[in-house]
Amino acid sequence: MKMDVDNKPGDAGVELTEAENELYDRQIRLWGLESQKRLRTANILISGLNGLGAEITKNIILSGVNLVKLHDEQLVSEADFCSQFLAPRESLGSNRAEASLTRARALNPMVDISADTEPLKEKTADFFRQFDVVVINGQSNEELLRIDGICRELGVRFYATDVWGMFGFYFASLQKHSYVEDTFKYKLISKPNEKQKFETVATPVQREVEYPAYSSWIDFDLNAATYQRKLKKDGPGIILLRVLQSFRSQHNRDPSYKTRDADIELLQKIRDELAPNSALSNDALGLLFAQISPAAAVVGGVVAQEVIKVVTKMEAPHRNLFLFNPETCMGYVESVGVN
Amino acid sequence: MAASIDGVLPATLQELVKKSKVLVVGAGGIGCEVLKNLVLSGFTQIEIIDLDTIDLSNLNRQFLFHREHVGKSKARVARESALSFNPDANITAYHDSVTSTDYGVNFFKKFDVVLSALDNRAARNHVNRMCLNADVPLIESGTSGYNGQVELIKRGLTQCYECTPKEKQRSFPGCTIRNTPSEPIHCIVWAKHLFNQLFGESVEDEDISPDSADPEAQNESVTAEAKAADGAGDVAMEDKENDKEQEKSTEAESEGEPKNNGNVVRINTRQWAKDCNYDAGKLFNKFFNEDINYLLRMSNLWKSRKAPVPVQWDTLLPDGTKAAEAPEFARQHHKVWTVEECAHVFANALKELSAAFLKLEGSDTLVWDKDDQPAMDFVAACANVRSHIFDIERKSRFEIKSMAGNIIPAIATTNAITAGISVMRAFSVLQSKWEQCKAVYARLRLNGRQQFLVADTFFPPPNPNCYVCASDPAITLRIDTKRIQVKAFRDDVLIKTLNMVNPDVTVEATGSIVISSEEGETECNEQKLLSEMNIVDGVILKCDDFFQSYELSIIISHFDAERDDVLFEVIADKSQLQPKQEEKPKEDSEEQSSTSRKRPANGSDIADDGPSTSKRTRLPEVEDDDDDCLVIEEDDDVQEIVNTKTEQLTVKSPPKVAIKRKPDNLTDDENITEILDSSDEEDVGPTKSKRTKLNDSQPNEVISID
Repeated sequence: MKMDVDNKPGDAGVELTEAENELYDRQIRLWGLESQKRLRTANILISGLNGLGAEITKNIILSGVNLVKLHDEQLVSEADFCSQFLAPRESLGSNRAEASLTRARALNPMVDISADTEPLKEKTADFFRQFDVVVINGQSNEELLRIDGICRELGVRFYATDVWGMFGFYFASLQKHSYVEDTFKYKLISKPNEKQKFETVATPVQREVEYPAYSSWIDFDLNAATYQRKLKKDGPGIILLRVLQSFRSQHNRDPSYKTRDADIELLQKIRDELAPNSALSNDALGLLFAQISPAAAVVGGVVAQEVIKVVTKMEAPHRNLFLFNPETCMGYVESVGVN
Repeated sequence: MAASIDGVLPATLQELVKKSKVLVVGAGGIGCEVLKNLVLSGFTQIEIIDLDTIDLSNLNRQFLFHREHVGKSKARVARESALSFNPDANITAYHDSVTSTDYGVNFFKKFDVVLSALDNRAARNHVNRMCLNADVPLIESGTSGYNGQVELIKRGLTQCYECTPKEKQRSFPGCTIRNTPSEPIHCIVWAKHLFNQLFGESVEDEDISPDSADPEAQNESVTAEAKAADGAGDVAMEDKENDKEQEKSTEAESEGEPKNNGNVVRINTRQWAKDCNYDAGKLFNKFFNEDINYLLRMSNLWKSRKAPVPVQWDTLLPDGTKAAEAPEFARQHHKVWTVEECAHVFANALKELSAAFLKLEGSDTLVWDKDDQPAMDFVAACANVRSHIFDIERKSRFEIKSMAGNIIPAIATTNAITAGISVMRAFSVLQSKWEQCKAVYARLRLNGRQQFLVADTFFPPPNPNCYVCASDPAITLRIDTKRIQVKAFRDDVLIKTLNMVNPDVTVEATGSIVISSEEGETECNEQKLLSEMNIVDGVILKCDDFFQSYELSIIISHFDAERDDVLFEVIADKSQLQPKQEEKPKEDSEEQSSTSRKRPANGSDIADDGPSTSKRTRLPEVEDDDDDCLVIEEDDDVQEIVNTKTEQLTVKSPPKVAIKRKPDNLTDDENITEILDSSDEEDVGPTKSKRTKLNDSQPNEVISID
């Protein structure tokens, strides 16, 4: 941890325009001018324009980044209407990224927004190097590993994320990330005879933290004895994530509302193999179909806020696995592969 | 639309979503998000109400609105946009205030759940009372910067919104504003008053001239002389008993002879400025030279204070220097202008405002708006010149705007997260899964359990002394009955502080009617002092707001207000009536709370947008439309959360320090984060989070609303 603060004026020494100052007034009052300037130079990839993708896209575009690339090879389906508000009804059957363009652009005309419909599998380093942050949603672990590997070589920040029904997660692979945060101290301000009064003094401090690769999550052993106590405390979210990712790789799809009961049984089976006698209840397995709008909003809000933290180098991005519990509405962080 | 596709939601939830009627109160940052979540989830019977129109600064988060919607009704545009997400939904939009009598208890009874996404305490209090009365579950939400909060309010099960005392809005005695400012906020409030004196709706207690009635300046021959010489005396003396003063001032008015020296009669300030043709130099010299010189003659004031140093137009802007039409620095909102620059800005703003003012018809006036450029320029410039005079730190226009406009920082992500949780809670409420409805707080940093969306562990019980949801609610009102008139009692205490809408008041012992909700019935009482109505120490008043179905007993406790006192204070619990001993029990209870780790510590509001209700100078009411809340958090392994209800932030004035009572037990790793205010963005750094240890929630605490 370095104690001196990087005061370099970001990548953007350029002043904001009056229009930008007006539009972004309420957020500049929160994160400051410097952050807003950094946002203005950021290029973001969002792959997977389902409901979660739409939520992330909305928040990132509103924040005032430079460029957002919407990537998707899939078509708008009935299930998307549970939460994908960027694709209009009449776009059913067309490409999801393209269908989202008009409404995405209307959110903030100052952001450069375009769509890409080529298969993700064909995308190589040349594609990913255009971006500061890459957010991938709805992919298999193999594909996530491949892209994370490319991003780590390029120095591009990588987020993997998903929402199933009301449950969701993200994984952050940021490599070495440095940021500034305030630390607080108390200073006695009263005179000796008076009642003690203190004021808090905030000091910005620069820190640097290492974020492990996505492979650390693949390698993570849920059943390790050392992890059991923590697992009991934090609930079964992490098991659920593993169950859902196993379902995806075994069946090459996600649980479907069209085969709801059968898929719940398949999920139960995977659960019982992966983590017998776990606290993961059957009820929880009934909340995993399509993407439910309020849950997509929570996870999409969290992911977008993390991307903003990364771009602005302000505050610590959570390290490194986030889980949202739809029953309690708790959101918590597991440190996976972190010493 | 999750609920219209079989198999997406569990069957019971699907049915409930399909058939439930939902009211969304507020179509701002959270409201837009809530509405989207509702229509996409498959709710089809939705009503939304908001009285506001769309502003450019909303567009960074209120994503249902675009540039072309600026100026239009939030509720209506939100409805249109949400319908494009799900054309099958039925949405009724009301461009109206939820406190309007059109929306009574029967209106609220129509709904299965109410989701509140409001930005001010008065409306929140009202919706709280309506939902309690209608026995409809209320999901209350708010955000401020990175912090968000969602809580269920259900009669008999949870605390109501008014169970916990809210921090009062800071208000300032008139003397401080007019004679002895010591903080930037004092000068900002003064500058807004000046705007109103010249162009706005003239408000009685917003005088800007020196107050020679300042008790601290009394017993002083110079002051007496000054007063006599001044002739007009001081109209703004709140003490209306002084008829002679009144007469004098009336005389002065009719003569139309404003005095150069000190107190120009308030009404005449406006006329005088007009007669001067809004000459920037003349006005500047009066406010920043002559008035200051007058203040200097009240020498008692400066015995223990640093005396102000008047400034002169000619020396700042020497002859021939014409203020440039639009100088470059005037657009530099993050720069702290020099006094000379302020004088330039003053001149330009004065020109624009006076032109706009003279175009108005009849008795129309301008309304101060932080987003109106000349109005904001005027206040920023005047506040800074006055700050300079009193040796107070000057601020950038950007910072002054935060304070003058009570701006709460707001971002899309926090609103999305908070609204998402709000609708998730609506699912649980509809299924009567009450155990799943504990309050949730969103915040920036992790707590000791690695959580940043944190739920309470249990429902804090209702406050038995709550003056709203207790069975027989009563409060004690400390009030200067010799200085408050019946009208001010009604407007400032009952309506602004206690959030009644149209109260009836009778004296309990005699049954005599003091205030009637029927128009004109008790008009003759309005100008009478409470003491003249025999409402004195020990009298009990029965207040009844028929519209809210709200009855309250008010026990009067008279006190003689001093210079820096506000004229009344609401005390929810009689045992708290000894203000001087108040400190001690507070510390005790804080110690208790730090040992009793299991307390959810819900309460202890520290923010308020609420109208401050002193008879004296009050802070501008909230003009912002942002969602808001203030969350104070304490993280530790057993998850103790001190949180506050969501509110507009009070304008806290610099120096931006949180006063901590007992820091000993805090370490740097304990995350007690309080977002104090929005004004301190620029200088300290990005996140303005400050830590403070607040007193733990104390249901019986003094509700010091002044």
